[in-house]
Amino acid sequence: MSFFKFEEDDLFTNTIEAYPDYSFYVQSGSIYLNNRPNVSGVKDATNHLNVPKGFISLYEYNIDRAGDFIYPFLIKDGNKVSFRNTTGSAYTSLPLKTVISSSYKMSASISRNFYSSSTRPRIQALKNTLNHYTYLSPHYAYSSSYGDKASQGINLISIPSIFYGSSIKKGSVRLKFYMSGSLIGELHDRNYNGELIQVGPEGSTGSGSVAGVVLYNEGFVTLTGSWGLNSDSIAYDTTDTSKWIYFNYAANDGNSATLTSLSSSFLMEYKGVTHTQTITMFARAGYGDLNQSNNPTYLSGSGGHDSGSLHYVETPRKIKNVVYSQFSDEEPEFKKTTYISKIAIYDENKNLIGITKVATPVRKTEQNQFTFKLKIDI
Amino acid sequence: MADSFYKSLDIGKDVVSTRTLLHEAIPLTGTIVSGTYGTNNIKNYAHGMFQSVYDYPYLSSSANHIFDITVGVGSNSSLTVANQLSKKKNIYNQMAQVLVGYDATGSVLRFDEDGDILAGGDKLDDIIFLNFSRLLVKDEIKKGTFSLKLGVSASYANAMLQRINIQDTSGSDGYLVNSPVGDYGILYATNDTGTPLNGAAAKACGLLYYQAGVCALTASVFGSLLSSSAQMNSGGETINAILTGSQISSSADALRHRMFNLQFNNTVELNSTVYFCRVNHNEFNYSTNPTYLSQSKIRVKTQASDQPVSYITTVGLYNDNNELYATAKLSEPLRKSSDTEFTIRVRLDY
Repeated sequence: MSFFKFEEDDLFTNTIEAYPDYSFYVQSGSIYLNNRPNVSGVKDATNHLNVPKGFISLYEYNIDRAGDFIYPFLIKDGNKVSFRNTTGSAYTSLPLKTVISSSYKMSASISRNFYSSSTRPRIQALKNTLNHYTYLSPHYAYSSSYGDKASQGINLISIPSIFYGSSIKKGSVRLKFYMSGSLIGELHDRNYNGELIQVGPEGSTGSGSVAGVVLYNEGFVTLTGSWGLNSDSIAYDTTDTSKWIYFNYAANDGNSATLTSLSSSFLMEYKGVTHTQTITMFARAGYGDLNQSNNPTYLSGSGGHDSGSLHYVETPRKIKNVVYSQFSDEEPEFKKTTYISKIAIYDENKNLIGITKVATPVRKTEQNQFTFKLKIDI
Repeated sequence: MADSFYKSLDIGKDVVSTRTLLHEAIPLTGTIVSGTYGTNNIKNYAHGMFQSVYDYPYLSSSANHIFDITVGVGSNSSLTVANQLSKKKNIYNQMAQVLVGYDATGSVLRFDEDGDILAGGDKLDDIIFLNFSRLLVKDEIKKGTFSLKLGVSASYANAMLQRINIQDTSGSDGYLVNSPVGDYGILYATNDTGTPLNGAAAKACGLLYYQAGVCALTASVFGSLLSSSAQMNSGGETINAILTGSQISSSADALRHRMFNLQFNNTVELNSTVYFCRVNHNEFNYSTNPTYLSQSKIRVKTQASDQPVSYITTVGLYNDNNELYATAKLSEPLRKSSDTEFTIRVRLDY
């Protein structure tokens, strides 16, 4: 085994920016993430992931279990470490060595809050944030000639960060409003400035108008568009024609969709932005390197020794000639040949910290050299 | 950050490292490994050297791998293996190399029933291995928590009528350390339902490697340890018969058919550093935040004699070059004035 030191040009640290697609389809109060159906399990008839429908399971541990769940626990000691479901005062009152347990049924999904009255704590909490982004568009303003978010009917859609990463990608947000399967309205942040502009269907009521704004970094969509997208009235928060303020109705907002002859459904699509740091390492095997192996199979014969009362001499062993020949009765000319099967990474103290395996062993002779590209996410 | 104020931490007094052991309870009912999903959660491979068990049909992306089952037969075994001999020997030798190690001459050591290798004693040459997934084992299996209940009735059809419970009763204080892969404990079988064991006393029946997450179970738990040997398949074959005459996958099927319950706890070591950030009465009472001023006057003071007040929302941790490398946020702003002092405890887990 040979050790080589990585040089400055052999190590690179990069950040990969990716844009994963997400879609939420809401119909009759059911949420479908990325068009995945809700799969019922054998033991858990609701959802085999053991979380509510349309939710992502954080750990995906308790797959299809009705009981006997995997759960974490710890024993109280002096380190003040506990789970979030144990309050500080409850923790303090517990005696030492008490078993404190939690649950792995952690899940997340989008939620909706509709406000028509002046009591709107979640909107008020976003006041500074909304005003901050007025440099992108005046439609962000909490109160302006475009509307007063303190009093107008407003629809707040909250997207947990597990569904987008660092931020929502500008220009990727599309909201589609369907009535009985027909598209009656589509919003798109086509100007990359957070304004959700109605872009379809062509010639529809409100086409070209701004129906809301997107908080890209915070994961919120606020919708204030209150023009009727068609003339049919059905049960939303109130019985009314379809409007953007009712978008995603019954999506984790405490309402249950009422069955009517007309049914609305909603599709929200966007891309997230994720950053993954990677280290790329170039491991080089030069012409004169790695042409010898300590593997026992590198030598032919079993070896042996000659010994007596005054001497001990090991019998020399020859390197096995593995050069290919078309002739079975003639040994080909010997060439030192090794096969590289794995590359190990060591720290400065020669502690093994990682192993890379190649898919198939790479044949190495004195006539060729290789550079192996190793990449690891950090 | 506009409102930074640097204060050095005293490494000796303000910084302390702690270690917390976090555990998980892992229950695996027998119906998961045989029954609920038929064989949809059981994966056999073309190489035939082991069988993988999942907690859900393995073609689903939701499925988690939970353990592998294989069998090994040592060179000193009394069994005459006719089916997959070399594979069973190779598995035994490989597991022995990794888990037991070598003697002074470089020969692979055999699994020892009581772990006392130098003293000789009974060796385990016909072994059923359960290799648990790292997802379940995490850092290690918690000592003294392993319990495997096996149905050992003689009848194959009514396998669960009589059961034994296999536990690492030597557990938390009686474990052994003479393995290359860490600590291990001796597994003992006791009667759980009925009295199927040959004799009343607890019987040593295998070894449990805590950090490696491997259970090495002697095949005699279905044979000589019992009053009457268990039928391991519908053909009525004994454990020795399927070890010698059947493939490894058949032995794995036979074991799964008789697994009633499996339960253990695992352990994860959480390392933390706690920084005690001390805020004295005369510190952090002012802010450079723009909102602290209104018309060039301190907003929180209405007359010159008023005490200054600030609200602490964030603690930034900086390195020696004053480069920010972590921030800790308070759940709600903390009112700070000249008549109050705080110690803010910042914990960094890694």
